[in-house]
Amino acid sequence: MGRLFLFYRLMIRPLLKEPVRAALTIFAVTLGVAVVLAMDLAGNAATGSFRASMETLAGDNDLEIVASGGVPEAIVGSLATLPYYIRISPRMEDSAVLADSNQTLPLIGLDLVAEANADGGGRALVTSSDKTFETNEDTIRQLQKADSIWVGASLGKKLGDRVRLLINDQVREFTVRGVYPDSNGSESAVVMDLATAQRALNRFGSVDRILLNVPEPPALDEWEQRVRAILPTGVEVRAQGTGTIENRRMLAAFRWNLQLLSYIALIVGAFLIYNTISVSVVRRRPETGIVRALGASRNAVLVAFLGEAAFFGVTGALFGLPMGRLMASGAVKLMAATVESLYVSSRPGAIALSAWSVALAFVIGVGVAVVSAYSPAREASLVSPVEAMARGRREYKTRVHKSRDLLLALVLAIAAAGASRAPAMQGKPVFGYLAAILLVAASALAVPAFTDAILSQSSRWLGKVLGVEALLGSQSLSASLRRTSVLVGALSTAIAMMVSVGIMVGSFRETVLIWMNDRLPADLYLRPAGAPAPDRHPTVSLELADKISKLPGVAGIDRLRAYEISLDGMPATLASVDLSAFRRDNQSSFLSGRPTAQVLAEIRDSKAVLVSEPFTYKHHVRAGDSITFSLGAARPSFRIADIYYDYGSERGTILMDRQTMLRYLPDPTPSNLAIYLMPGTSLEAARNEILQASSGYRVLLASNRDLRAEAIRIFDRTFAITYALEAVAVIVAVMGVAGALLALVIDRRREIGLLRFLGASAGQVHKQILVEAGLLGLLANFAGLALGFALSLVLIFVINKQSFGWTIRFHWPVAVLLGAISVVYAATVLSGLYPAQVAVGLNPLEAVHEE
Amino acid sequence: MAIVSFEKVSKDYLTDGQRVHALDDITLEIERGEFVALMGRSGCGKSTLLNLAGAMDFPTSGNVVLDGVTTSALKDAGLTCLRREKVGFIFQSFQLLHTLTVFENVELPLLLAGKPKARDAARERLDWVELDGLGDRYPHQLSGGQMQRVGIARALVQSPAILLADEPTGNLDTITGNVILGLLKRLTRELNTATIMATHSAEAGALADAVVRLRDGKIEEIGRR
Repeated sequence: MGRLFLFYRLMIRPLLKEPVRAALTIFAVTLGVAVVLAMDLAGNAATGSFRASMETLAGDNDLEIVASGGVPEAIVGSLATLPYYIRISPRMEDSAVLADSNQTLPLIGLDLVAEANADGGGRALVTSSDKTFETNEDTIRQLQKADSIWVGASLGKKLGDRVRLLINDQVREFTVRGVYPDSNGSESAVVMDLATAQRALNRFGSVDRILLNVPEPPALDEWEQRVRAILPTGVEVRAQGTGTIENRRMLAAFRWNLQLLSYIALIVGAFLIYNTISVSVVRRRPETGIVRALGASRNAVLVAFLGEAAFFGVTGALFGLPMGRLMASGAVKLMAATVESLYVSSRPGAIALSAWSVALAFVIGVGVAVVSAYSPAREASLVSPVEAMARGRREYKTRVHKSRDLLLALVLAIAAAGASRAPAMQGKPVFGYLAAILLVAASALAVPAFTDAILSQSSRWLGKVLGVEALLGSQSLSASLRRTSVLVGALSTAIAMMVSVGIMVGSFRETVLIWMNDRLPADLYLRPAGAPAPDRHPTVSLELADKISKLPGVAGIDRLRAYEISLDGMPATLASVDLSAFRRDNQSSFLSGRPTAQVLAEIRDSKAVLVSEPFTYKHHVRAGDSITFSLGAARPSFRIADIYYDYGSERGTILMDRQTMLRYLPDPTPSNLAIYLMPGTSLEAARNEILQASSGYRVLLASNRDLRAEAIRIFDRTFAITYALEAVAVIVAVMGVAGALLALVIDRRREIGLLRFLGASAGQVHKQILVEAGLLGLLANFAGLALGFALSLVLIFVINKQSFGWTIRFHWPVAVLLGAISVVYAATVLSGLYPAQVAVGLNPLEAVHEE
Repeated sequence: MAIVSFEKVSKDYLTDGQRVHALDDITLEIERGEFVALMGRSGCGKSTLLNLAGAMDFPTSGNVVLDGVTTSALKDAGLTCLRREKVGFIFQSFQLLHTLTVFENVELPLLLAGKPKARDAARERLDWVELDGLGDRYPHQLSGGQMQRVGIARALVQSPAILLADEPTGNLDTITGNVILGLLKRLTRELNTATIMATHSAEAGALADAVVRLRDGKIEEIGRR
């Protein structure tokens, strides 16, 4: 207790006398902790506890039967003839859009009669994980009517309400016959009878999935074998929820990368804690000497300074918890939007602040604080009482170690180059991140030499150009080299992250723009209305496609079709293009560089396919390899003719000729249409004609230009969260500069007071502090640009490639970078305003007299 | 004509809500070329008087007139200008900037005032205090006596009308202290400046042209030689 009291008196009470500086340090930790926590909570809600929309109301079953393009309905009959008591639940699974509100909901078709009789003529209709919906025979009869639906209670509909639903490209009206509790929307769906769903979706003779509830014993493996024995080729049985697990696996890299990005703010925060404790150590050097002389052990000094850091950590974590929870609400929306546009339609789960999250916040806050404070704390403990009274020695030490640190930086940079060449580890770019960390460390070690070289070369020149204040400012920074280096290190790390991610995103954007030029050759594109998602492929009516193809001015249409398939435990997209139709191909967008026409000729009506670049990365295949997967009632093998660049989805796509696909999956309805116009045809006129022909169908028609603009809009939204994370890191760094400048002012109050004695005006003192802030910003910008460039190479060519498999062409987004750097620079200079004001407000008599 | 005069000057401070009379009804005139020692116990008001003479602070009542200018009539910017032009400070603990060389320390007041040829002036002042050749050294490379010489050179670089020295020998051994006192006295004569020195040292008092004894903020005695 006595020791705690002493700790408070010697370490905490002095902090209370500098509330602004202490608050800035705590706020830096708070932001760091909050961002990591927010990304963890949001990541868990949006991807970790991911549940595909189609799992809605799937209940607790044991096995599921699936097939690419749908499971033949006859299999339900075959299963029913098995001499076992198995509950069989065939399902149609698609999506519908509420025409009035544009809300997209899962559309679930169930065999209602079977479901109702499942409990021996009982009343259970739909069983979800935690609830059973009771109904009666009358309701079931009603539900079997062609216009009957059940909806979740959160939609606010009543029995008898009429609801207009957009299904594929048709709007139909349905009557609400039942409302079920849907856990505040997390289980919301439109439920209809299986036959009604098949009719509405225009998919007869097959179902999307059959769920099986089997008794135990025997074990599930045994049941799997028994069921597999009666299934035709191409139809698979697997544990229920495999799709969800596959999706989670697919989302893992996305989540992992975002989570690591969130640690940037924390790394910057660590620099600042290091700086704060270093300042504390230097400032309390005489006190440390006295306390040591009075009998305090080295360990006591070490523990005291680590305790001070832990105080910052604990307080930062305490504030970081509620802030992180608040930030998570915003982050989860952005994450869910990205998941929806790049991966799979899903619903984010609830944000749960668990005991684990609280522990995480404290472990991060206190851990980072204590680890980053260890080095200065240890130095304080090693100083002898006599040495503690000597000034200037510490800075001398830093000067002496400059060359050694520079050499070490070189070694780390070489190690980073080596790590960047290592392959991914279980699909994760572990060595890529290691290379990034090594580069940051190398930069931190090189910063003192860099700072010293620049300051010593420029101080005279600065003095001549900007006056004696600039000379004094640069000399002062040079004299406090260690502290200056830490500040430059922190700010440059934040700037480097901003620059590297800016270059990566800018390069990616440019690559996508070039790619879209190659990949969108048609003049107009048509798809069913409703929100798109990579795993939703609503179809366009065949009649409409035929009608459009015959319009004057239309040179031809490409009927594109897509299905969701599962391959090697990962979801993928199977798509087809109509190679027999009119085409106008652009330049090559193949990895081989071969002309488009040559590549397409190879897959025309053959057992050769093209695959997207992310597909090759996920499934470890190359051009010339063979892939085998279930397709309808077959399991054919295809040769990979070539690989094409694809930045539209991260799922991975197999592309084949429409004729080949129809051989296995004979449904001719297209998912969307690419429309080519005759030369000289007015785009507007053609658009009007097509829209006229489409009356009665709910479709979206977009010109080539519209589609590009929309793609770029989605692209920018996807990276919004990345920018937000960078902004937090920069804010933490700028706040750190403000805090450190304040410390510098307080430390140098004697010097500042003396300047007033020697004739310096208030304006000159003000200017000196601002010059120091400006110099810090300038040094950090130079160092940050250099480090950022190196990191961008790792991000683009190692981390991105190993995480997602995309080839990105390097591009300097000059305007964006200049803008961002200017803003950071202005913020850094502005951060000097308050410390400058404090410096001006110092009483020179007191400041000099204290000595 | 007096270079600095105190006319019925009082200075009060508020410490923890208590009014403390640091100086009480001081009237004093000091001429150019005069070497004056302020003596008295700690807390008697020596430093306060120096600060008022150096335009570092305002009197609570009365006037301090520095080379014809009443300090209380000026604002911060005016006081700064007055200090730059008229006053040189010498400190007990030298107060050199450790990040600057000897040359840079000495020329600093000129640079702050935006005056040209600062290096030449600094070189000359260092010559006066017999430190020629040490201009490129840093303060930590000098002895205590040398550091105080640098402090004196810096105080003289603006050719001030008045030199204010607060215990200039307080951190030096007796022999070095005496050398510094001799130097100060010689420069006061040669440059026709006025030097006011706060000191506890009897040797310092013995060297002065006038000794002003302070007690509880009042002048107890003025002894002129």
